[in-house]
Amino acid sequence: MATRILTVEDDERIRTAVKLALEDEGWTVAEADTGEVALETFQREPTDVVLIDIMLPGIDGFEVCRSIRRISDVPIVMVTARADTHDVVAGLEAGADDYLTKPFAPKELSARIRALLRRTRTGDPAHAHLRFGDLEIIPDEGVVNRNEEEVHLTKTEFRLLTELASSPGRVFSREVLLERVWGYGYFGDGRLVDVHIRRLRTKIEADPANPRHVVTVRGLGYKLQA
Amino acid sequence: MAVAAPAVPTVERVPRWRRFTPRLGLRARVILAFSVGALFLAMVLSGIVLGVTRTNLVNQREANATRQALINAQIVRSGVRPESNTLQVLQSLQTPEGSRPILYERAVTVTGSPDLQERWTAPDPEFGKDALPLALRREVLSGEPAKMRYVDPNGDKSLAIGTPIADLNGAYFEIVSLVSLDDTLSSISFTLFGASIATVLAGAAFGWYSSRRILRPLGEVGIAARSLAGGELDTRIRTLVDPDLEPIITSFNGMADSLEARIEKDAQFASDVSHELRSPLMTLQASIEVLQNNREALSERAQSALDLLAEDLDRFRELVEDLLEISRFDAGVMHLQLEEVLLSQFVGYAVRDAGYHRVPVVMDPDLDLTEDFDDVITALDKRRIARVIANLLTNASKYGDGPTQVYLDGDAHTVRINVDDDGEGVPEEDRDRIFERFNRAGAAHRRGTGTGVGLGLALVAEHVRLHGGEVSVEDAPSGGARFVVSLPRVELEHDDEFEELA
Repeated sequence: MATRILTVEDDERIRTAVKLALEDEGWTVAEADTGEVALETFQREPTDVVLIDIMLPGIDGFEVCRSIRRISDVPIVMVTARADTHDVVAGLEAGADDYLTKPFAPKELSARIRALLRRTRTGDPAHAHLRFGDLEIIPDEGVVNRNEEEVHLTKTEFRLLTELASSPGRVFSREVLLERVWGYGYFGDGRLVDVHIRRLRTKIEADPANPRHVVTVRGLGYKLQA
Repeated sequence: MAVAAPAVPTVERVPRWRRFTPRLGLRARVILAFSVGALFLAMVLSGIVLGVTRTNLVNQREANATRQALINAQIVRSGVRPESNTLQVLQSLQTPEGSRPILYERAVTVTGSPDLQERWTAPDPEFGKDALPLALRREVLSGEPAKMRYVDPNGDKSLAIGTPIADLNGAYFEIVSLVSLDDTLSSISFTLFGASIATVLAGAAFGWYSSRRILRPLGEVGIAARSLAGGELDTRIRTLVDPDLEPIITSFNGMADSLEARIEKDAQFASDVSHELRSPLMTLQASIEVLQNNREALSERAQSALDLLAEDLDRFRELVEDLLEISRFDAGVMHLQLEEVLLSQFVGYAVRDAGYHRVPVVMDPDLDLTEDFDDVITALDKRRIARVIANLLTNASKYGDGPTQVYLDGDAHTVRINVDDDGEGVPEEDRDRIFERFNRAGAAHRRGTGTGVGLGLALVAEHVRLHGGEVSVEDAPSGGARFVVSLPRVELEHDDEFEELA
């Protein structure tokens, strides 16, 4: 079945042009011109990826992002005006998985979407169950348990965690994580990693301020430990 | 036809009195005013004190001398008998230092004949009858007690006192020297002079102190103005609470308000333009991509036109992005996203990312390396410095026959990224101007098609300045131009979060 993408954008011309470009990739595109319509469409139609422009009339992109996140772990790409604003961090914290700045090339958007849709690599059988103290990861089922209770992670958070879990104790630099999880090169935005790590910690750590599992190694990156 | 008015040289008019006086600072003037004021005050007070003291002293001395003279006259009246020695009596009198008695007697013969016998007796021969002023003598001898200030034969200020003694048919005089009084007065004046000098010094010191007090608010205004000029647009003077300074504070804060509003308006304009331009660009870009995806459906002519369109759209987008980036610098809304990087690794990625895979990145072997890596760790904004490197490489290939190498050196506090090219170098006179916006100073001399707009190097300068570094051009060792980007070596306090600098 074709990948279904929901684009939330108030400018009709942009929406149409982006739709045409994405359809060239063989994807199905649903459109929404306001946040309200977007939420309604999202609940009605199955969606694989959501593309949200932050600047929307009515309820803004952040709010749409948060509302979708409450009910779904669907990958979300947001579109901001500039890279060097707090909008990016705010959007990531609202639950977005990745971002693009306007004007972006639709090819770049396609690459982002493909990276987000990439399936988690299936670990070898020895790694079918990974245990880190109170934390249990079952990669093939996409399940994470903490104290035998399931924790709900987004796809990106899950991939970030399994990436770290693939070599426990090894330090992963931001660049490596950006490449493996998001498919970026060296110049990917390190804030993607930092914000996702922060979100991951609030879900799997007993005390997110003093993380036990996902630890920062100063100047080098992050590692996972029991 | 307009006729140009003859040029009149304008001369700054200076009041005549100021023409030859050196211009003093506000502070010096306050101190001077306080000193002059103190001097004036000291002089007036000294004058008054001296005058009052003098009057009092003289009056007191006169009163004392007069009382003493009257007592002495009584003693003389009772002590002088025809048989006694008048001189001895006078010598036995208790007269203070500098007081000289004189006795006048007129003996009347028993027979009552007019055989008058006058006698002047004075222990001090120099202060006898002739030492007394004539007017006083006359008055006393006519029966009235009198006193008079005058200058005695020695030339000293003295007081002459006389009182008639009826019993002796004569009079008693005393000449009292006032010289010692003068001594007292001069020592008082000396003391007052000293006090005046002390007052002037105290006045100057007070002037210095109060001028400092007065100028301190000005200093605060200066600091605020500097901070405002430095881009801290929300700077206001709030710490000064002084009704006298209210007008200056109000107008300063008013100025800051309108400046901030204006800059915000400019920033808003840039942001509006940004939004306005982004949307059509977005549509254009997406549409052209759709066309390119389906180019085989187009005729060859249409394909050529599409390629031209796509190329120029790219250039247009770059130009718009450059313009927006530089307008953000002007609005002062830039944020650095500092991240620690391995320098040579970072520069290597940046050079390849810009599409210059063959340009070698060479590191100075003497460059201070880190413990863990054969590399230098420093914090920088990756996006911006990658942009700087890309722009310098583009500049080198446009105007300098292509980049030859990127050379890294520096010291404990600075890292330098040098981009060398193979061109003719940049003449001395263009080396500053080349970083100005839309400046083609370099382009005129240098080879190249000149298609690029001169914003690339201006952006390089802005990005580098935002990092607290600087950029310059010199001659490369190999002969071409060398663009030198110097960045401070920064170590982040904590790497967990991005450092954001205003």
